[in-house]
Amino acid sequence: MPNLKLIRDRIDSVKNTRKITEAMRLVAAAKVRRAQEQVNATRPFANCLAEVLYNLQSRLKFEDVDLPLLKQREVKTVGLLVVSGDRGLCGGYNANIIKQAEARITELKADGYEYKLILVGRKAAQYYERRKAPIAQTYIGLEQIPTADEASRIADYLLSLFLSETVDRVELIYTKFVSLINSRPVIQTLLPLSPQGLESSDDEIFHLTSKAGHFDIEREPVSGQSHDYPRDMIFEQDPTQILDALLPLYLNNQLLRGLQESAASELASRMTAMNNASDNASELVKTLTLSYNKARQAAITQELLEVVAGANAL
Amino acid sequence: MSLSVRVIAPDKTVWKGEAQEVILPSITGQIGILGGHAPLLTALDIGVMRVRAEKDWQTIALMGGFAEVEHNQVTILVNGAEQGSKIDQETAKQEYEAAQAAVNAVGAEDRQGKIQANQALRRTRSRFQAAGGMVKS
Repeated sequence: MPNLKLIRDRIDSVKNTRKITEAMRLVAAAKVRRAQEQVNATRPFANCLAEVLYNLQSRLKFEDVDLPLLKQREVKTVGLLVVSGDRGLCGGYNANIIKQAEARITELKADGYEYKLILVGRKAAQYYERRKAPIAQTYIGLEQIPTADEASRIADYLLSLFLSETVDRVELIYTKFVSLINSRPVIQTLLPLSPQGLESSDDEIFHLTSKAGHFDIEREPVSGQSHDYPRDMIFEQDPTQILDALLPLYLNNQLLRGLQESAASELASRMTAMNNASDNASELVKTLTLSYNKARQAAITQELLEVVAGANAL
Repeated sequence: MSLSVRVIAPDKTVWKGEAQEVILPSITGQIGILGGHAPLLTALDIGVMRVRAEKDWQTIALMGGFAEVEHNQVTILVNGAEQGSKIDQETAKQEYEAAQAAVNAVGAEDRQGKIQANQALRRTRSRFQAAGGMVKS
């Protein structure tokens, strides 16, 4: 016969766990709002940038431009910027991004390239430190809602790596936010910036919305065609030089978006994971209560039988 | 004719307001903008911009970017910006001096370190200047 007290303790402990997972889910959901505000705050910048790029592009053909940030060098070393989270308990978020990074590293090794890792988030850092991978830099304990300061700090570092020819290409591995229940790790080449990427002004901005308490996402393309510059626009410097000053901004913006999408994915992933955990806990409480009641009834029946048997024996 | 000025960093609008005169740190030298200026596009260096509203001059430390002038609208897009009035001069000075020391300490072979140290020096100098500090050139 199962021990009644044991089952009762187990039920209590599962209920406590459910309280915790429920709280974590609510916290993640609350952070979504802040994430959304942050994303909206980046819109004026992204819009303005897209507009200027569009207008500059009509003045010069990007193919003819010889700028350090656009220059495709022969690749020997590739810098991989891997964006993971600082904390666990968020489903497969960290595991997926590390898996993607591992796959990329295997590919690079097979092609005979060297690689260097720039890691964001404690999870990736721990994983690669244990494996003694070539880590160039780690960023741990960033804000959960990424800020532009952090993005530009990382962008500066990447630029210095690239310009000093320590690495010849920088790739960003981050989690693209598709929907609340769907996000996927992707690889994007950050440096050298590809002229094609600049020219196509259909960069999209995503923004998170909370519809009726649910977490939602909308993507909309940045319209770069809002207005043309007047014909007599003065270019204080050569358009090439202006482009050169503009590229770091573009890089910064790209990086910030990557960080924000990753953060949103992490929050969504945590919400889903904690929701599942709460559901499982409820399910478990149900089964345990059932077996507790069964055991209780069995005990009562047993006692009754004993009493009856005792009475009969008299 | 007054100018309406916006200073935009990647994640927020740092400063927004009306001004009579703006002096910008372009990569080819300082450039002054008054009301009714012809349309203009210029790349900005890491440095200090000055804004005059009536008689008050304000400083803003800019971390590189570009500025667009059109129809009395001045739009400044930068990697980062900070209002001079919000920077503590003493801290900024210490950071600037630390950055100077760091530049001198970097060896000639360390190209990556040199790029980083120089970048840090220019940023801290701009902040120090925006806070009202004088820099010996």
